[in-house]
Amino acid sequence: MFAIITLPTVVLDATANLKKHELENVSCCANVNVNRLLLSVNAPHPCCQWPRALTCTIYHAPLVSRQEIPPVFLCFRDRKEWADLEPVPQDDGPNPVVKIAYSEKFSDVYDYFRALLKNDERSERAFALTSEAIELNAANYTVWHYRRVLLQALSKDLREEMRYITAIIEEQPKNYQVWHHRRMVVEWLNDPSEELEFIADILSQDAKNYHAWQHRQWVIQEYKLWDDELDFVENLLEEDVRNNSAWNQRHFVISHTSGFSDAMEREIQYCLYQIKKAPNNESAWNYLKGILQPLGLSAQPGLLERVLELKQTHCSPYLLAFLFDCYEDALENSKENVAEEEQQKTLKKALEICQLLAQEDTIRKEYWLFLGRSLKNKHGSSDPSDEPLADDPEPSVPVSEQQEMS
Amino acid sequence: MAEEESQFEEFEQIDFLRDRHVRFFQRTLQVLPERYASLETTRLTIIFFALSGLDVLDALDVIDRNTMIEWIYSLQVLPTEDQVNLSRCGFRGSSHIGIPYSTKGPGVLHPYDSGHVAMTYTGLCSLLILGDDLSRVNKQACLAGLRALQLEDGSFYAVPEGSENDIRFIYCAASICYMLDDWSGMDIQKAIEYIRGSLSYDNGFGQGAGRESHGGWTYCAIASLCLMGRLEEALSQRELDRIRRWCIMRQQSGFQGRPNKPVDTCYSFWVGATLELLDVFQYTNFDKNRSFILSTQDRLVGGFAKWPDSHPDPLHAYLGLCGLSLIGEPSLRKVHPALNITQRAFQHVQQLQQTWRDSTGSCSRQH
Repeated sequence: MFAIITLPTVVLDATANLKKHELENVSCCANVNVNRLLLSVNAPHPCCQWPRALTCTIYHAPLVSRQEIPPVFLCFRDRKEWADLEPVPQDDGPNPVVKIAYSEKFSDVYDYFRALLKNDERSERAFALTSEAIELNAANYTVWHYRRVLLQALSKDLREEMRYITAIIEEQPKNYQVWHHRRMVVEWLNDPSEELEFIADILSQDAKNYHAWQHRQWVIQEYKLWDDELDFVENLLEEDVRNNSAWNQRHFVISHTSGFSDAMEREIQYCLYQIKKAPNNESAWNYLKGILQPLGLSAQPGLLERVLELKQTHCSPYLLAFLFDCYEDALENSKENVAEEEQQKTLKKALEICQLLAQEDTIRKEYWLFLGRSLKNKHGSSDPSDEPLADDPEPSVPVSEQQEMS
Repeated sequence: MAEEESQFEEFEQIDFLRDRHVRFFQRTLQVLPERYASLETTRLTIIFFALSGLDVLDALDVIDRNTMIEWIYSLQVLPTEDQVNLSRCGFRGSSHIGIPYSTKGPGVLHPYDSGHVAMTYTGLCSLLILGDDLSRVNKQACLAGLRALQLEDGSFYAVPEGSENDIRFIYCAASICYMLDDWSGMDIQKAIEYIRGSLSYDNGFGQGAGRESHGGWTYCAIASLCLMGRLEEALSQRELDRIRRWCIMRQQSGFQGRPNKPVDTCYSFWVGATLELLDVFQYTNFDKNRSFILSTQDRLVGGFAKWPDSHPDPLHAYLGLCGLSLIGEPSLRKVHPALNITQRAFQHVQQLQQTWRDSTGSCSRQH
């Protein structure tokens, strides 16, 4: 990049407004009595943004003044090292749709990108240009693909590339292309050693970033980095017990390591402990139900009693729904020798829960009533003395009040 | 308790500003400022949001259909004379690669030009919404391009050069096969396996196995199975009931995408449409859903945002409308929940497919 300074004065040195480790990339020029001085800065370290300004120390005997000069971008079409290439404009035809109004600078970079692409040029200048193109639009997957082609064709330093992609992801952590690029570089290096720490850093900024979690799962599974992950998950749950991503990761780790048979009692304990701390936490209840579901909720001895106890002091719609699911599971999986009377008792309890849910979880009132009706239709006896469920319309007609739009 | 709440809601009655939304989509179709640069490679999806949005608003008369149709066809990656690029065919997201504008074949050989599965999907949708008969689509080339994208595990890449692979692109593939009425574009069985593998312990679907369940990916899973006609083959009644529960728990006012995350307008469609496909949307709370969606309406520029007091964007504007359509907003056309186009456009698709079946051998003519 270049800065153009108009001066009657002498520039003795210039330092750029860059981060510390980039200073070595700035070269200084000195000239005497020149009206215009072209101050050149070697391409800054690829992982950093263009400096916002060059701060020049200008000596004009006997005064010293500091000027801030905004850098002027020299178009590729004006750079002699690019004169051999014919830029390729974007061609949207006579009636473009959703046209994006690009500045001259943007078009210039991408006109040259398109030119390189057409010739499939494999060169350092092409590689440098991809950095500029990425700076302008990091979501352009063609640029990233071309950059990967060049990384391999030119045998570029992949450790350097890791530093580059680290910085880009820190700035744009919700972009698909940057995470995919990182994954490719990690695969080429066959070195995941920085990953867990890096992802932890991204998660410290947004603990639920889906891309970060996905990358983390890939790294752990691919390179068998399971050892410390349960601790990592527990720390996150300490920070925020409602972090659904962390609960999911807990399930991921345990299902791929110890499995849930021996660990079941410990995990149930963990859930109930977290539920006591924060009763209205859907994630904890989903986890509890999720680990018990494969064996059947009613198969776990003593669990129903524990939950009924919890109902007195730490009730929530999630607890009630869990109870309903326990009762339903008991009805579905009742053994041959379970008396009809027992079944009807369980059904009655389940229907009471539905009524309670319809009152407590009002936004889902119609759903809870529907569940009750469905359960009754499936498991109800033909005894005419059975009390009908409150608000029980004919099963085929949906509750219609809410569907009249005012 | 419930009666008091609805009285308060009457005070807050927010009106739906149809004309603003029409103008929002009209402006989207014209010129966007440079800060939208990150949308360059996905411009065709933006067109889809705007066109389908205008269709839902019953306002397609404001645009010049033929202009749009021509521009969309210019994005088709057609086979070259020798067909060496067949596995790269489909539609591009935009002209960003620099291929000279052309609406007819043969294709131009370029080392980096290929279709993108989401662009092929939204390109075909957009043409159908505009009433086009797809006669200029090289269907066999699109299907060849699609086959090249499917992996062993059943998921799809977005582009033949490689990209991330997940359930989103299965949905795009299923939609493409559905619209072209030709399932040779994908291995359905493998796709079903991947979808089943993405079912989480908490009964929502993640982007792939082991990943956190999410409203968007749940939509992709269920809608794909519906388009394939395999919903009840792939999932048991018990599994379907559990999925219904996961989805219906997403409603807080509007809908959230994941447990313990904030509600966001777009999930009124992703989760709402899933519930509709599973026959239980009628049991959700329409009033609270409507109030939330309208709270994200931008009263000045039109469109909808993900949250109240945020900037609107084409995706949320379109999905906000779809969310309102699902609950029966009077001035909006009904939306086909699996294909995510209006029922009107869907009828056009069905009629078109009937003519293909009726005609004798002319339906797969190559260009």
